[in-house]
Amino acid sequence: MRIVLALAIACLVVGLPATPGVGAPGTVARLGAVVPLTGRYASGGAQVKAGYELAVEDLNARGGVLIGGRRVALQLTLLDDESDPTKTVNRLEALAGQGVVVLLGGFGSDLHAAAAAVAEKNRIPYCGVAFALHAIHEHGFRYLFSPFEKSPEIASETYRFLNATIPADRRPQRIAIFQERTDWGRELGDIWTARSRENGYQVVLRGEYTPLSRDFSDLILRAKSAGADAVFSVPTPPDGITLIRQMKELDFSPKIIMMIRAADAVSWTQALGKDGDAVLLSPGWHHDLRFPGVRELNARHQQRFGRPADVIVGPAYACVQIAARAIERAGALEPRAIRDAMAATDLETVMGRVRFRPDGTGIVPTVFVQWQAGRQELVWPKNLGAVPLLYPAPPWRAR
Amino acid sequence: MSRRLVLGCVAAGLAMLPVLAGSRPVVEWSFLVLLYAALAQSWNLLGGFGGQVNLGHAAFFGLGALVTRRLWLGGLPLGEALLAGTAAATAMGAVVGAPSLRLRGPYFAIGTLAVAEILRITVGNILPEVSALPATTLAAYALAPRYYLALVLAGAVTAAAWWLTRSRFGCGLVAAREDEAVAESIGVSVFRHRLVAFVLGSGFAGIAGGIFAYYHPSFYPSFAFNPLWTFDPLVIAYLGGAGTVEGPWVGAVVYLALREALALRLGELHLLIFGACFIAVVVALPGGVVQALRGLGGRAARPRRAAGSQATPV
Repeated sequence: MRIVLALAIACLVVGLPATPGVGAPGTVARLGAVVPLTGRYASGGAQVKAGYELAVEDLNARGGVLIGGRRVALQLTLLDDESDPTKTVNRLEALAGQGVVVLLGGFGSDLHAAAAAVAEKNRIPYCGVAFALHAIHEHGFRYLFSPFEKSPEIASETYRFLNATIPADRRPQRIAIFQERTDWGRELGDIWTARSRENGYQVVLRGEYTPLSRDFSDLILRAKSAGADAVFSVPTPPDGITLIRQMKELDFSPKIIMMIRAADAVSWTQALGKDGDAVLLSPGWHHDLRFPGVRELNARHQQRFGRPADVIVGPAYACVQIAARAIERAGALEPRAIRDAMAATDLETVMGRVRFRPDGTGIVPTVFVQWQAGRQELVWPKNLGAVPLLYPAPPWRAR
Repeated sequence: MSRRLVLGCVAAGLAMLPVLAGSRPVVEWSFLVLLYAALAQSWNLLGGFGGQVNLGHAAFFGLGALVTRRLWLGGLPLGEALLAGTAAATAMGAVVGAPSLRLRGPYFAIGTLAVAEILRITVGNILPEVSALPATTLAAYALAPRYYLALVLAGAVTAAAWWLTRSRFGCGLVAAREDEAVAESIGVSVFRHRLVAFVLGSGFAGIAGGIFAYYHPSFYPSFAFNPLWTFDPLVIAYLGGAGTVEGPWVGAVVYLALREALALRLGELHLLIFGACFIAVVVALPGGVVQALRGLGGRAARPRRAAGSQATPV
């Protein structure tokens, strides 16, 4: 029994979440991030991680944040949640107990939805990107901030983009929504459908599928037989890749293919090659946007990864910029004061000017990006450096 | 130091922890240890003492969590919601156990796994929205009551396991594990013994799910049915020592300490290192930590009245 007790105590000592050292508070501003570095969102999480790390390095190279006339370095603690919302919550709880003053989110609406309540419970401001679910902002959470486009903006902007880019006589008319059976899938499906008619489109199919399905043939054949010439969807990366492969096998070639989220990562083109081209995504940012700091960010990313900044790197970078400015404006490493400062954000970031509505959603640009010849190209908005849209998407056999 | 004194000190320490611990993460982590220990112990009732590997434990945990959460957030007092969640899980245990316990060996394991997966997929399809506590509830959130609920549950399910080591029923269950034919031949109703243990374990898993629902600020309903809620308790029970009363406690402490320590310090490498550590522990300690420590303490050969791994079949 003594040995059991000794072992239990040893494990307790080793395993207990690390607590900040003596004297740590005040010497650094601690940011805590929980990001999916493994699992289904690993590819997107890698971009979020890169954005956070580059931003912290850049800000620290400039002296960190200014608090009460004193320069304080930012310190980022980044944990993996394995793309599992339950672990997101557990890891955030661990960070909340370690004296972090701002929490940063990961990738994917379901992980953010689980995380937002933890921030609220611990009264620590939470900044999350790669997260378009609007419903979670309707819970009255005061500590949740998201400088990222949300479902209502994406839906409205989808039709505005198509109508402004494609002549009326060549536009797709019949839309199939491949709707993921999740809260975000249903939310965006509802808004896409609600706004289709007023913009001159007809939703001919709304078919639901369960995430991580292996067979989409029924959905695809129903869309094909309904004469759909555009597909809107928000799959996870594995589902998106499976969908494209099966659409090719079943020779279903719509003129517009929108795979929001799935096509965000570089692994998209690595997995699909030419079949991944012409697919549209709405990642919230692109490295060709002409905002202050984007060129420098691209140079740093190029140096480290051999390519300009990936699409989620920018919003993640902006999150840290927003957090840093909020800490400075709060003038203290006090989460509640930082929350109030964050709510009053009006800041030029790498994703443009960012402000927040009372529900924590960001007033930010909505962008559309298209895979063209294995590269992600900005195709909307036109006034921010967009290139022409590749339209219609070439049939699979012609690729 | 006598065994009772040590147990008394541990119990007193656990009871005082929320008051004495200066750090919230300590209480948070201890809550998880209690929850996992309770869940592993509830699996241990049939899996360890009865030798029947139930791979559908997540179904009962999830059902308890789902019913409790929805009723509680719907306005029912927590106690009643917890009771309803427990009743649902227990009833489900009887409904699933009666037919599935007639299956033998791997067929029982596969059958129970199938039930849990069917429930997970169905719940995910019907309830895809995240279940987050309202902002007002979060503003008044206190960890201490959750901790004490988990402590009471862990104590209750451990008492049930201890009762198995002391009772005629427990001896019958162990006898059925050791040799089903011999047990039947001496008058032990193998099916009845296993069904009672299965239903008891399901009910305790349901309470654990209900406490999880009360504790967690936000989760997707289908995640309460995730196979991890089966495999984590199973791993914990085997790590500590399946079929022993102390095993799930030791396993939960070691498992959570290792998992969280690696996750908090090693970034994306933690899964790789954790997997390697786990394989090493399983290879080095096939009977679990408790048995290894008993061996070290020279107690392995000492005769005991207890059931479990040293039980004497009736």
